[in-house]
Amino acid sequence: MFNSNNATRAAGVAILAGTLVIGAGASAQPKPAPPPSAEKQRMIDLGIAHKTAAGLYQYLKEQAHGGQPLNWRSVPDWTGVWTREASPFFWDPDQGDPNALPTAKLTPPYQKQLLEKLDRVNRGIEFDPLSNCEPAGMPRWMVEPFLREWVVTPTQTYLINEMQNEMRRVYTDGRDHPSKDDAYPLWEGDSIGFWDGDKLVIHTSQMRAGQYQRIQPGYSEQVETVEVWHKTEASTMTVDVWSFDPPALVEPWYAKQVYKKLTNDDRSLRIRYWDCGENQNNTVVKTGEGTSDFKNFTFTKKDDK
Amino acid sequence: MRKIFGCALGGLLLVAAPVFAHHSAVMFDDQKEITVTGVVKEFQYTNPHSWLLVDVKNDDGTVTTWGFEAEGPSTLTRAGIRRSDLMPGTGITITGHPMRDGRPAASWVKAKRADGKDLDPRNGFAIK
Repeated sequence: MFNSNNATRAAGVAILAGTLVIGAGASAQPKPAPPPSAEKQRMIDLGIAHKTAAGLYQYLKEQAHGGQPLNWRSVPDWTGVWTREASPFFWDPDQGDPNALPTAKLTPPYQKQLLEKLDRVNRGIEFDPLSNCEPAGMPRWMVEPFLREWVVTPTQTYLINEMQNEMRRVYTDGRDHPSKDDAYPLWEGDSIGFWDGDKLVIHTSQMRAGQYQRIQPGYSEQVETVEVWHKTEASTMTVDVWSFDPPALVEPWYAKQVYKKLTNDDRSLRIRYWDCGENQNNTVVKTGEGTSDFKNFTFTKKDDK
Repeated sequence: MRKIFGCALGGLLLVAAPVFAHHSAVMFDDQKEITVTGVVKEFQYTNPHSWLLVDVKNDDGTVTTWGFEAEGPSTLTRAGIRRSDLMPGTGITITGHPMRDGRPAASWVKAKRADGKDLDPRNGFAIK
């Protein structure tokens, strides 16, 4: 099998090079998730204390005295082309080791579902719904590894991921979410927010069920998130995010997401329209065994070996 | 033209698989590598994945077109690989993890153009 030095070294490579390290035939018993730091535990406790995403959002709004509306003079400079810093296959970057369990505290059904999925992956059986050209959707949107842009206006902020052209609209004009009877599941959910100085606080509800990533847990349609976006350095965007999801999580799952602004000195990085179906060679199907395979290539026939 | 199969990782069970934008990498054998030398037939610079098609002459004189999959245009741009770097007819030696089912396709690991330029698509996720 492998030893922890190999795993640590490989995980470092994963973070640096954006690769996923998986255990082919790895240990059947994943290692426990790393324990939180004291600072992280404080953020976890903040989520626990407020019980729901709406409760935490309301608390943060009260702390900010209702927030301060932006005007065109006070719009922060969030321009540029950005990407997530951590390995895309960990929702919580603190997981670090691909052979450790995610840091979420899951309910028994979702824990069972995760362990069964990891077992299938270790046996080479894996199919990602993205292969059907579905968008990632929130909250998975936060960890996809491609280019991003943030567009801030006084009354709306657009959070754009080039992958599948996924754009989240965050309404900061004081509106509330739709009524419960008018709410229905959305890929990106419904996001409202307010500005607390140079921090954008967001509450997102109405999301569809999905998975945080391929080797991460699933989430239910009841998932809601609270995010605090803060440009902490010229090239660093830090996002504190809490997921609340009673069917899946026994307590809110807190993680710190970090996005880095790419240099792009030659301006060669441009976000283009993403057409998932434009190349037949990318058509991937679910096999009878439940794993992934290419359907047909344009350059060779199925029985060419 | 030549084609070389080899064990990629010397028996290590932990393997580094590329980030695949919209599908798992299970169809590729990440314990093996194949290296071929040929000429570029077509560079399909597309999302969610790009495909580099390389014509490789076999020992019996026939030609097999191999497909090498990488990430899409923005990630390749970040890796310094532009569409114009691999125009049809360009000579190339390219290495990838081959398909498990034996079809002539692979996930692109690294390549060297005939003029010596290295083309490593996995550099496209480096933050710089």
